[in-house]
Parts: sequence; C-alpha cells; structure tokens
Amino acid sequence: MRFLPHTDADRSAMLDTIGVSDMRELFADIPAGFHHEPGSLDLPDALSEAAIVRKFTQASDKNRHAGNSSCFLGGGTYHHFIPAVVDYVISRGEFLTAYTPYQPEIAQGTLQTLFEFQTMIARLLGMDVSNASMYDAATSVAEAALMARRVKRRDRVVIAGSVNPRYRAVTHNYLSHLGGETIVVDNSGFSTDVEKVCANIDEATACVIVQYPDFYGSVYDLTEIRSRCDETGALMIVAFSDATAFALIKPPGEYGADIVVGSGQALGIPMGFGGPHLGLFTCTQKLLRQMPGRVCGMTTDANGKRGFVLTLSTREQHIRREKATSNICSNQGLMCTAAATYMTLMGDAGLKTVAENSAAALQMLVSNLPVDVKAADGVHYNETVLSFKDQAHRDTLLAKAGKEAIFAGIPLENLNSAAEPRHLLIATTEMTEAEDVSRYLKLLEAAQ
Amino acid sequence: MTASNYSGVAGLMHEEPLLFEHAHEKATSISLPGVTTPLSDELAAFSRTKKANIPGLSEPEAVRHFVRLSQWNHSIETGFYPLGSCTMKYNPRANEQVVRLPGLAHVHPDQPVESVQGLLALLFELQNWLGEITGLPYVTLQPAAGAQGEWTGLMMIRAALESRGESHRNKVLVPDSAHGTNPASAALCGMQTVELKSLANGRVDLEELKANLDENVAALMLTNPNTTGMFESDIAEICELVHQAGGFVYGDGANLNALVGIAKPGDMGIDCLHINVHKTFSTPHGGGGPGGGPVVVNESLAPFLPTPRIVKNKDAYRIIHSDESSIGPVLGSIGQVGVLLRAAAYIAAFGKDHLHKIAEDAVLNANYILARLKGAYHVPFEGICKHECLLTDEIQNRHGIKTLDIAKQLIDLGFHPMTVYFPLVVHGAMLIEPTESESRETIDAFCDAMLEIAKACEEGDTEALHAAPVRSIRSRLDETAAARTPVLVWKED
Repeated sequence: MRFLPHTDADRSAMLDTIGVSDMRELFADIPAGFHHEPGSLDLPDALSEAAIVRKFTQASDKNRHAGNSSCFLGGGTYHHFIPAVVDYVISRGEFLTAYTPYQPEIAQGTLQTLFEFQTMIARLLGMDVSNASMYDAATSVAEAALMARRVKRRDRVVIAGSVNPRYRAVTHNYLSHLGGETIVVDNSGFSTDVEKVCANIDEATACVIVQYPDFYGSVYDLTEIRSRCDETGALMIVAFSDATAFALIKPPGEYGADIVVGSGQALGIPMGFGGPHLGLFTCTQKLLRQMPGRVCGMTTDANGKRGFVLTLSTREQHIRREKATSNICSNQGLMCTAAATYMTLMGDAGLKTVAENSAAALQMLVSNLPVDVKAADGVHYNETVLSFKDQAHRDTLLAKAGKEAIFAGIPLENLNSAAEPRHLLIATTEMTEAEDVSRYLKLLEAAQ
Repeated sequence: MTASNYSGVAGLMHEEPLLFEHAHEKATSISLPGVTTPLSDELAAFSRTKKANIPGLSEPEAVRHFVRLSQWNHSIETGFYPLGSCTMKYNPRANEQVVRLPGLAHVHPDQPVESVQGLLALLFELQNWLGEITGLPYVTLQPAAGAQGEWTGLMMIRAALESRGESHRNKVLVPDSAHGTNPASAALCGMQTVELKSLANGRVDLEELKANLDENVAALMLTNPNTTGMFESDIAEICELVHQAGGFVYGDGANLNALVGIAKPGDMGIDCLHINVHKTFSTPHGGGGPGGGPVVVNESLAPFLPTPRIVKNKDAYRIIHSDESSIGPVLGSIGQVGVLLRAAAYIAAFGKDHLHKIAEDAVLNANYILARLKGAYHVPFEGICKHECLLTDEIQNRHGIKTLDIAKQLIDLGFHPMTVYFPLVVHGAMLIEPTESESRETIDAFCDAMLEIAKACEEGDTEALHAAPVRSIRSRLDETAAARTPVLVWKED
C-alpha cells in the first residue's frame, strides 16, 4: 500500500521489540466478538492513484460549473476571481500539512500569517480586532449571539428577517436549548425594516443582528439601529455575506457596530459547493476577552525578538472545558492563509476594483430589464431579487438558462420557504462580463 | 548535551517582516476582469470614508513573502509530527489534485441539483462508506469539525429524548480523560456535565459509572480508545449499563485511527459517533483547519439527522432541505465539501483490502515507541496501547526537567513535540501518536532522540534542556505577556 512505509521485515522486527508474536496480539484488548476479518468490510477494492484521478475526473465532468457557465448565483457564496498565487500558497506543504500552532517556535509561518490576516480583516470591516476565524458565516453569527448573551447577561436576541435564512436557522439551533427568547423581525418587501427592528430592541435585549448589505443585497443606513442600541444597552451585531463590499461601501465598523461577522469566502476561496469557506469574526477592543475561537497575538521571545503565539487561551475549551466561551477547537486556518494571500495581492486598490466591477455588472443588468421583470427597490451592492409575473414566467427563464449554460439565479423559495415561487435571488461579481449581462438580458426578453 | 542532528533539519534562519512593513504606496499590480461602467450616485452615497489600508504587494513580492513565511513552519511534509490525539498522518497529493477539478471546486451550493450529480454521487458514496466502517449506517456529512460533530450528536440525542417525552434528561457523563470539547459541547446544548473519575489503570470505573446513572442521564460521552491510549475493554458492558438507564452512548471518534478496518464502534453499542476526517482519513490540517466532522448514528437517532441531506432516488441524487423530525442545519452549507472529497479519495485508495492496515501499522508504531522508551520514561498505565502511547516526566522531574523542557529540546533535535500536558489525568503528560505514515527509520530516530534526552537528565547535563529551543527561528515566546496585553492587529505609528 503506497502510503505505508513498512516492509514485512520491519513489522516483524518491531513486533519482536514489543515482545508479541503477531499483529493481532496488539488488538487482544478488543473483545474477540468485535473483530472483523481483514478485507471483510463492504467497501470497493483499493484504487490506484490513476484510477482515483479517473473516477473524480468523471464525476467532475458530469457537473456544470462556474468555469463553463455564466454564474449569477449568490445567497452567501460568490464566484469571484482567485489569483493563481492563492492556491499556490495554500498548496505549500508547510502551510497545508501543519497543525494548529501549539508550538510557536516552529509555527511562526502560520502565526505571522494569522496576525496579518487578523489585521487586514479588522481594517476591511473597520473593527478593532479579529479572531483567527470560525467555520463559516452562519456559525459566526450564532457565536456572535452567544457572545452578546455572555457580555450583556441578557438572553433576548432580536434578529432581522432580512438576515440570510441559513444564518438565522443555524443561530436558532445554537440558541435553542439555552433558554431566552429569539425575536425575528419581519421585512418590508425585500429590504430591512429598520423602524420595526428598532422598535423590537428593548432594555432586556442582549443584541440585535442585522445583515448589511442584507440577504436581498440591499444597502441601508445603520445609524438609527446604533442609536437604539445605545439607548437600550443592546449590542449591535452586523452580519455580511460578501466581504468585498466593504472595499467600496461604508464598513459596519464605521457605523459603530460592536460585533461584525460574516463570510470570507469571497476573498480568494472557491465556492466548492458550500465549503470549506471562512467564517469571519471581529469585535471592539472592549469585548475581545469574550470572543470565541483561536486568536493570534504578538509578543517577544527569550532573545527579545518579535514573534507570535496563540493567546487568550483561558477562554477556550481545552482549558475551561464546560465554562469555555465556545466549544470550537479547529478553525479554518488554511482559508485564513488563502484570504491573507488574496488581500495582499489585491491591496486597497484591487479590492476596490473588485467591488466596483461587481456592483457595476448588477447595475448594468438591472437598468436594462424588460418591463415585466422587476428588480427589488432600494440601493444594492452586487445582489438583488428579480420578480417575475408568475412562476411559469420565471421557470421558463430557468429552463432556457439551463440550456444556455447560465446559472440565472436562486429561486427564492429554496432559501426562504415563505417566499412566493416567482422570484430569483441574483448576484454579480467582477467575473460577470458585459457579455454575460447581455446574454442574460436576451434570455429575459425571450422568456416573456 | 551535544547538538546531534537526527532529522537533517537544523532550523532555517531567515527573517521576514510583516507585509505592512514591506508595503509602500504603489499602483495596484493586479489585473481584473469585469464591467467598468460608472456606479450610481445612490450607491456612491454609501462610500467608505476611511481607507482600509490594506497594502498591495506585486505578485513576485507576495509570493516571496508567503513562501518565506511557510519555511518557518514545521509540517508533516518536512518532519515527524507525533501529536497525540491529532493523528498527523501523511496527506496524499493526489487528493489535492482531484479536489481542484473545476466541476468539484467551482460549483455553487445552490446551482440546480441536476447540474451537480457527479459531486453528489461522490458524497453519497462517502456516506455509505463511513456508515460501513463504523457500523453506524445513518450519516450526516454536515458538521464542520469534531467539536461541531459532538454538539450535533448531543442535539440529536436531546431531540430523541424529547420525542420520548424525556426532556428532563440533561445530564452528560464525561470521563476525566476526555477532550475539553466534550464538556464544552454539552454546555452548548444546555446540558450539565458530570465528570467520571478514571480507574488507576486509566479506564472507565464501572462502579463510578453505575453510581452516576440515574433517570436524568441523557448520555455518556466516551472516547475509545481513550486519551491515555488504552482501549476500554469493558465497552459492551459500559454501553449496556447506559442503555439500561435510558441514556445514549456518544462516541468521540477522535481516536478512530486505532480501530479503522478492525472493529466497528456501532457493534460495541455506541449510538452516535463523530469522525474527524482530518485525522483518520488524512485531510490536511491546514495550520488549524478546515476539518470535517461527519456524524454517524444508529436507527434510534436517524430521524433527527440534520438537514440538508443527500438522498438517492433511483439513479438521481436529491437534497432534502427540511423534514419534521430533523434537528435542522448546523452549518450554512451541506458540509466542508472539499475536505470530505479528500477523505473519500483516501478511503478509495485503501479500499477493503488495505483499510485495516492503517490501524495495524498505527498501533504497531505506538507500541514500538512504548517498548523502546519504557524504563527511560515513566509509563503511567501498563499494557498494550492502541494508536498512541502515554508517558510522563516523573523520572526527569527528579533532575529538575519537566515535560515542557523535553518538548522544547525535541524541537532542537528536529522533531515536532508530542501532545503535552494532556490528558489531565496524569501529571506532566506526553502523549505520542506516530500514525501509520512513519517509517521505522524515522521512529527509531525519534526514540533515539528521546533516549538521549533521558540520558542527559540522568547525567545532570540539563543546561541545553532549559535553554531549548535554540535552533529554531524563535526561542521560547512570552505567552504571559501576550495574554496580559493582547496585540492582535498591527498598528503603524
């Protein structure tokens, strides 16, 4: 077997050293009735490397993908450009095959990269500090709610209905056995009802969770929500789906958010059918000791040289056990490395171009829609809802799009079962060329 | 002691500034596609007012920066990495190749299900394999990591108890040798943890277990083999006792590498188990993640599996987004798909012919290390171990040397240290897990290094041990200062 270095001679010499006569003796502590004969499991025969590559290539070939289609899908996952260097860096064995940096003297590569990642993420979101990542946006939102409950010692959570339904469902699950109350505030159409959100925040509220731009892509002013939080002492948590937005629009930190959480997938990570993605978690300096997850900090070594370590570990499960701030152990370390590399290549200017082109493609599409297809009202970044006359109208479009290798949008009811089945959630990025927009518009004309 | 060189690595000494220290104002070097028409005034009204100040480096500068940083890491590809309970095995390169195929990497989670049948087939097949390997046939691939798998499993157990009208059961029994995630996951489910004291031989004390089994018990969380490296031979009786008391047995699958292809947790009475695919099934650890924590269960918990879920109808795969008894989603997607695909490729490479050899060689290597080091190091629990062996610093303590010093000296000798100070049930723990990937030559070199350290202690030649590491890019770092005044982001003055 190609991954096992021992020869039979090695094995028998090692068994001699141990003082047992055969391999099965090493398993004598497992009651005999539980032993399975080698080779008796109901699994396929071993495949050669060539056969594995063939099997996966055939599977890949059966799928349509963003490389051979025009992609107008969003809803939390976006097809942005990924420079080749990003994949090269995360393919380096030294990053790829290292563990959590528990021995900092021989993990400075991972640690310095995490410190750079934390710095860039905090700056992009306009926040004081960042941790070294959570699993994904949905679990980041849930952990933010848990953190707010700890900080405020209050157990009422207000969440806008315009937060991605998946983030809401996971958050609901995380809170489900911990007592307290979770209030979901209805939208007004396809946008956040700021007035109604504010009206639901009271003195018993630990936090309010809003998404910005919201699930429907709407960009709106968070000032009133901040004021209402100040009046009641609730924490303001802002979630987001596409981190590139904040190279262009005012980041949540500029509105005075206490905790900002969301997805870093847009920063150099492939869509990958949903994972592995990157959960981002940032907060104000004041709250950092209640943050969940790994955190990297700067320090010095015994010779006075600058170095980096995982720090504030007394918050964590391996020290605090049931009293930890979270049960999280692993993070998305390699995805942090990807995002750090991506941001380093882009810089402010590159990120801004990504954001501008993403928004421009949507504006080009929306401003040329046929009369019987309506885009959601309000200001949008790179995502919106298209509404059709009826389901038949929309499904005609989807059928035509399928034949033309266009992913034309996500039927809204797939994500939010309460939605009427005549809407599509659509998104654009810098990968959307003018030609893609024209093809989409032609399809819309043809679907009437 | 002499600065012997066992591994051919003597520390790569170069300095690399923070990228913020590299940065200087420059034109963006990246070329980007897309639509470049001017934006609306309405959107422009929301423009950010302060620059983010993210420095852009040119491509050659960025590559050199990160390649240099990479060289400051120990990794499996550069050396032995015997972290106990972490299963740092070799990560096959072919697996990296196949997950980058465009039809697997650049697919959107919400594209039409008909357009992604090839990928769903691979995931569905993986579910079946995990069910077969563990003897627990109902599978969710969704949990993002082991800790999330634990929480998912406990949520399902809660749901099952509620469906029986036994929602008062909220006590989770956890042996004192358990991973810290176990009690933390129980707390996140709103459950009370009761710690069980282990026997003097490192195993579960049946009397202590019986004394704590009452009408409020929801579950026992058990790692088997446990974190001292010993198999809980009373496993069948343990499970039976918990079941008789009306509770479930949750298996922490972190140590599945000792059993894979040899014995199935489901046969032993475990009801629910998470699998760390980044351990047993060789998906790369990536400097902390991403991991993957599929959960496998028996029929009693099957109705409560999370959604979304992949099902097969005739020859077509579908995704079920919700059903009544499910606990619902635990992650924003169907799982860490890229990680899961690597695990599938790994299992395919071993197949039914070779899978058991993983556990055999892993257990062989751990026992070989134990045989070579006992005498020189204190072995707290006698007998055959499984895939990892536990030592302590008791003998070296007499010479003023503790586990931390031994660990740091190993760095100078070219090895990553073992897991230190875990499990908590012994003082000065050193938990060594070699995995099946290592050659006898490497393992012998590691044992030689450990014996040299022990000899240096006996001879009172301990100066180097206190100073270590001196050959790494940094010496011991001041963790106290880091925690007292946390500096988590760079600030230009």
